[in-house]
Amino acid sequence: MSESKIAALHKALVEKELSCTELTEKYIKAIETENGELNAYVTVTAEQAMETAGAVDEKIAAGKEIGLLEGIPMTLKDNISTEGIRTTCCSKILEDYVPIYNAYVWDVLKAQNAVLLGKTNMDEFAMGSSCENSYFGGAKNPHNTAHVAGGSSGGVASAVGGNIAVYGLGSDTGGSIRQPASFCGIVGMKPTYGAVSRYGLIAYASSLDQIGPITTSVEDAAIVFDAVSGHDTMDSTCSGRQGAPVCESLKNDIKGMKIGIAKEYMEGIRDDVRSAVEEAIEVYRSLGADIVEFDLPSLKYALPVYYIIACAEASSNLGRYDGIRYGYKAENYLDVNDMVKKTRSSGFGEEVKRRILLGTYVLSSGYYDAYYKKAQNLRGRIVQDFRDAYRKCDVILAPTVPMTAFENGHAVSDPVETYLTDICTVPVNICGLPGISVPCGFDAKGLPIGMQLIGNSFEEAKILNAAWQYEQAAGKFRAADIGVRN
Amino acid sequence: MVTKEEIMKIAILSKLYVAEDEIDKLTEDMAEIISFADTINNASDEGMDFDNINGLSNVLRDDVVVPSLPREKILQNAKDSDDGCFMVKNIMK
Repeated sequence: MSESKIAALHKALVEKELSCTELTEKYIKAIETENGELNAYVTVTAEQAMETAGAVDEKIAAGKEIGLLEGIPMTLKDNISTEGIRTTCCSKILEDYVPIYNAYVWDVLKAQNAVLLGKTNMDEFAMGSSCENSYFGGAKNPHNTAHVAGGSSGGVASAVGGNIAVYGLGSDTGGSIRQPASFCGIVGMKPTYGAVSRYGLIAYASSLDQIGPITTSVEDAAIVFDAVSGHDTMDSTCSGRQGAPVCESLKNDIKGMKIGIAKEYMEGIRDDVRSAVEEAIEVYRSLGADIVEFDLPSLKYALPVYYIIACAEASSNLGRYDGIRYGYKAENYLDVNDMVKKTRSSGFGEEVKRRILLGTYVLSSGYYDAYYKKAQNLRGRIVQDFRDAYRKCDVILAPTVPMTAFENGHAVSDPVETYLTDICTVPVNICGLPGISVPCGFDAKGLPIGMQLIGNSFEEAKILNAAWQYEQAAGKFRAADIGVRN
Repeated sequence: MVTKEEIMKIAILSKLYVAEDEIDKLTEDMAEIISFADTINNASDEGMDFDNINGLSNVLRDDVVVPSLPREKILQNAKDSDDGCFMVKNIMK
């Protein structure tokens, strides 16, 4: 029995149970009816989608073989560049920006006739944990629209969780794929730094950013990861996937696999989330895995280290928005300096400005050593702690988020409290490791709980294997299909 | 403790205007965030000299000439352009 939605739809297309045009139409109709409430899409590309669908149908009619992702309706987070299609980063400053080239990942998927339904909502410049920092208003949680979809890739998670896209690509700088996937009861994977090209991904924090899949099953995440993890000469930090395609080892036995539990990850976690993760530990025991416990003492520094480094890099990366070459430009100004300042001051939202200011502060003369340099050194210590941990285990199991999806409006009130929700996700980015969030339960209100499997560098195959085995054993936690059914 | 004056200085470096009525709230927020960042003060980083993650090294391509983007395309997102150039007000009088 295949759990993969992509494989099931592929089979239906090949066996002509439904045409790609019918499938695409179904999704476009579902977007028309559902998106008003979910606010997952900020741009819908129905015309291009139907064109691609038509081309796929012609290929099938001509008896040609089609690829696994060919003709499958999907979405991209709105910070992934799409030539000729508006890419806004959900910021006023890029509201009418139309890229003149494709991101590597979109080039690859487009060449495989992936059907792009549209671009999805996010926190402005991927800065946030609720999607509410979006210039277009936040995306809602498909399980309960009084709650947020999470962030920053909230739109992708809302669309995939609400079944108005089969899968999507998001980006993860401090948890922006895994956290919304956890909130929406689906699967999200942040690959190893360097496994997927960042070419054409609008930069937030370049040493932390990574593109990855958001899907309804572990197998789909593996399929999409295999497709986009090639070597790309346009990103000098990208070496691509190491080793065989991850789909080959997905269903391996995990008897004897060492699952690590670090007690620091389990502290300060809401009770229902902790017991859901503890139940998952029992599932792994029953599958024959060995549970290994240890400490990760430097984990307590991960969050401040993350915010210092991410904001420092953001303050530099966002220096390019000056109104001259692209994007919003202030209308009335005295001189060039005034134009740049007015453009940035009214083009950026509050959270983005706050992070630019913090980043400038920690890099400024007099504070550089105390904050930025110290944070970088501590980053080294955290990396070392994880390296030691992987001498004792194969993968680490942890909660994805200490709680479930917050109510709309809750996240914006207190910046530091909101930052604390990223405590379980940021260490992966700090160390460049791969991490996947998988649904593992529901809270009393019926909102999904997610758990996270963290692997050593370039060991996506191991975390996907462990995640797949868990999903098979505990399949009842898979998100119910909401919206259109296939 | 972060002061209003420091925030004003940082805003100039960041090329951002901070409105009079925003400065108090912003200073308060920044003070809270920076005191949160201060939790690393007591951590020992002795002997640590961080250079990169995962010991990655740059993946360089062969030095061959490849086509670059045409000028018209590059200019198409600019609000003001003329004669193949981006337009800005005089920088020097």
